[in-house]
Amino acid sequence: MGDIEATWAILHPGVDQILNRLLDGMSYTNWINMYTTVYNYCAMGSTSGGAEHSGSTSTAMVMGAQLYKNLRSHLNAHLNDLVLTAQRDNLTGVSLLQFYTQNWNSYTTATTYLNHIFHYLNRHWVKREIDEGRKEVYDIYTMSLVAWRNNLFAKVHRPVLKASLKLIEQQRDHNHIDTALIKLVTESFVSLGIDESMSSRSTMDVYNQYFDQPFLEATRDYYYVESRRFLATHSVPEYLKHIESRLAEESARVQVYLHPRTAGPLIKTCEATLIGAHVGVLQPEFQTLLDGERLDDLYRMYKILSRVPGGLNSLRTTFEEHVKRQGLAAVEKIAQESSDAAASAGAVDAALLAIHRQFSEMVQTCMEGEPGFVAALDKACRDFVNRNDVCKSGSSKSPELLAAFCDQMLRKSSKTEAGEIEETLNHVMTVFKYVEDKDVFQKFYSKALAKRLVNGLSASDDAEASMIAKLKEACGFEYTNKLQKMFQDMGLSKDLNDAFREQVRQHQEDQMTGIGGNSDLVDLNILVLGTASWPFTPPVTGFSYPDDLVKTYERFSRFFTNKHSGRKLNWLTHLSKGDLKTNCYKQKYTFLVSMYQMAVLLQYNNGTAFSWEELMQSTEISPDVLKAQIGNLLKARVLTVTSASLLRGLGEPGSTYTLNLDFKSKKIRVNLNMVIRNEMRQEADETHKHVEEDRKHLIQAAIVRIMKTRRQMKYQDLMSEVLTQLSTRFRPKVPDIKKCIDILLEKEYIERREGEKDVFAYVA
Amino acid sequence: MKVTLTSSDNQTFTVDRDIAEKSMLLKNMLEDVGESAAPIPLPNVQADTLKRVIEYCEHHRSDAPVPADDDKSKDAFDSVRKRADDIEEWDAHFMKMETDAIFETILAANYLDIKPLLDLGCKTVANMIKGKRAEDIREMFNIQNDFTPEEEEQIRRENEWAADA
Repeated sequence: MGDIEATWAILHPGVDQILNRLLDGMSYTNWINMYTTVYNYCAMGSTSGGAEHSGSTSTAMVMGAQLYKNLRSHLNAHLNDLVLTAQRDNLTGVSLLQFYTQNWNSYTTATTYLNHIFHYLNRHWVKREIDEGRKEVYDIYTMSLVAWRNNLFAKVHRPVLKASLKLIEQQRDHNHIDTALIKLVTESFVSLGIDESMSSRSTMDVYNQYFDQPFLEATRDYYYVESRRFLATHSVPEYLKHIESRLAEESARVQVYLHPRTAGPLIKTCEATLIGAHVGVLQPEFQTLLDGERLDDLYRMYKILSRVPGGLNSLRTTFEEHVKRQGLAAVEKIAQESSDAAASAGAVDAALLAIHRQFSEMVQTCMEGEPGFVAALDKACRDFVNRNDVCKSGSSKSPELLAAFCDQMLRKSSKTEAGEIEETLNHVMTVFKYVEDKDVFQKFYSKALAKRLVNGLSASDDAEASMIAKLKEACGFEYTNKLQKMFQDMGLSKDLNDAFREQVRQHQEDQMTGIGGNSDLVDLNILVLGTASWPFTPPVTGFSYPDDLVKTYERFSRFFTNKHSGRKLNWLTHLSKGDLKTNCYKQKYTFLVSMYQMAVLLQYNNGTAFSWEELMQSTEISPDVLKAQIGNLLKARVLTVTSASLLRGLGEPGSTYTLNLDFKSKKIRVNLNMVIRNEMRQEADETHKHVEEDRKHLIQAAIVRIMKTRRQMKYQDLMSEVLTQLSTRFRPKVPDIKKCIDILLEKEYIERREGEKDVFAYVA
Repeated sequence: MKVTLTSSDNQTFTVDRDIAEKSMLLKNMLEDVGESAAPIPLPNVQADTLKRVIEYCEHHRSDAPVPADDDKSKDAFDSVRKRADDIEEWDAHFMKMETDAIFETILAANYLDIKPLLDLGCKTVANMIKGKRAEDIREMFNIQNDFTPEEEEQIRRENEWAADA
């Protein structure tokens, strides 16, 4: 016992059988015998009868080194034999792989046996060696792997790798292969990664160096050639599909027979070779796909190019240009079809909306809402909303049209349903978002709103409130402040009217009980509007109230001054209107007239014909206004003019205007208060002028605000700060800012720093 | 499934496979060779010892298996395992046997690779030594004193710090 020669003589045939003929089977007896032999050898012959002490100080010693060496040499010899066999049979290709994998399988099974049978050696001698820091001693199983690596793997890994790569290439060419072979090869390479310093831990070194890297290189080479060949004979959309299926194939390949950690680098390699190398060919095709609206292909191209760094950059630019072109084209089409800008307001906005909707849907479905494309869409929209054919005159035209469109929608006359209005308003807000000159929109919108309110043309209070809420959400409280005040004034005026009527009624009752006279007051509905909130200008003409109205006028003025002393009432006679009932015809008509027309017509209670001078004198209306008003009356044939007067022309001294007693109309209510087109045009121009004025104030205010906090600032910095602060309202022009700086220098709000170029300082 | 074990003196014992697998030796072998009706010879274990070992394994049938070497919970397991004073009542009673029998059991546990039983045996022996004079221990285990008086004196001096007050 304890004799290595005798011990090995017993073990040798068993080890041999396990390595070479394991399939013949092994009995319990043989297995136990081998185990017991190892045990007895290692435990140094202290077989049984334990009470007989094993004697000396060497009890603690565990035998094993020689046994370990013998087993290792045996394994080495066995493996060398295998290599010789392979070399003798000149194995290559699949037969080499079969040889390698079959032997790998039987070898690992055999060494699992040996690891168990030599377990006592593992438990004591090996453990102690490792604990004492001896290198190159491993448990039996690991030792057997090291032996495989050093003796067999070292000699065949090159041809094995070559054969494996060849097989993979065949599969890439769509031939059927036995994937189990490669799976076993890669698994064995992974198993051979043994951390020398800590055998229980494994590393990926062997797999990385002897499989992964060469495999990735082969992949690169394969797809380098393949992608060029494919592109030479196929279209880009076909190639995109091809890439898609290739990438799917490669992912599946990893699942089937590669180590999971290869997945990342493999896909990266494919992306670089299949996509990155051809970006220059793929990207230009994007325009074609956009033109053809080929959504599936667009999506595919987006997905594929998003895989490589910078792949989307040029697509975003192309997309932006495309959207812009489409937008401009749509507007141009409308501009050609109708020359009337105001009438086409709705059409333009509808077209812009349609373009926006079409492409924002495309961004969502084909570009997965990618932020870069969203930004490109926004930029394109901002561009074509503010600078298009209809808006040649400048970016302020677009908000004007948009406001006009809102007015159309919110007016009583519009035929749209309530739900539809809400939807349209939402769309308007989409376009509004892109409008640069939001201050222009504000001006025109408040003008239109004022008219709707004063003339009672608003379709629904809810829709009005909803629109204001939307604007408030988009631009803040300040933006809609005035609009909201306008609504308040409307409410206050209603209360005021009620109070006034009540007072008049009481007064009348008092009179009835007293003198019992009647009232000369006419039914009055008045709106008292805050000057600051309402975009109205005072009348340009003088006016003398006709006798029938003057009492009412005075009565209300008194009533108001009593109620709110210190407030000044300005009568906006040019916006006032009334109903006149006729008694001079067979049929009783009601004329809807302006205040000025009323004043003129009331004169005819005292006579049937008046000269121009007479009318001017009695009404005190300025000639221009009077001319226009009488023009309307002539057109409606309420008044007639003698042919002699006609020759002199309307409003010429000496022309005479006669009441047409034969007036006839199909309607009982006749509207004589037509708005004059010329006036509208003039109004729009004025509004633009107002905007310009307001802007100057805003720019100056911004400069002062900035300088007050910064005290001192460089010209460039000041310029950019002003631009950012005002960008939510409009885009100031650089010369305008310069002009404002000059004004402020002159007014001595700021000064130039002496000795320093282009530096301004705040003057307290 | 049952397995049949044959002792060195040719007595057979039939036990359930999970009882046999308390021994890592038998567990590994059954894993390698597979099941068969053939008896398993255990040439290093005598019948009376094997009988005791089987009794121990049957009692501890439902204990958790010993963690493998690379198991994270092994350290915690080891620290408990190394304490000599926490022997279960049944185990203590089980180990009440002749000194010779104790050593036979320890050897069998080592051969069969049954860690908990090996530990129990070693703990029992440690408790037998604890608090005894060297002379008593020599007598108990039949050990010859091969130190010279000088050597003995030196060892005593070196280990003075550990002696009881």
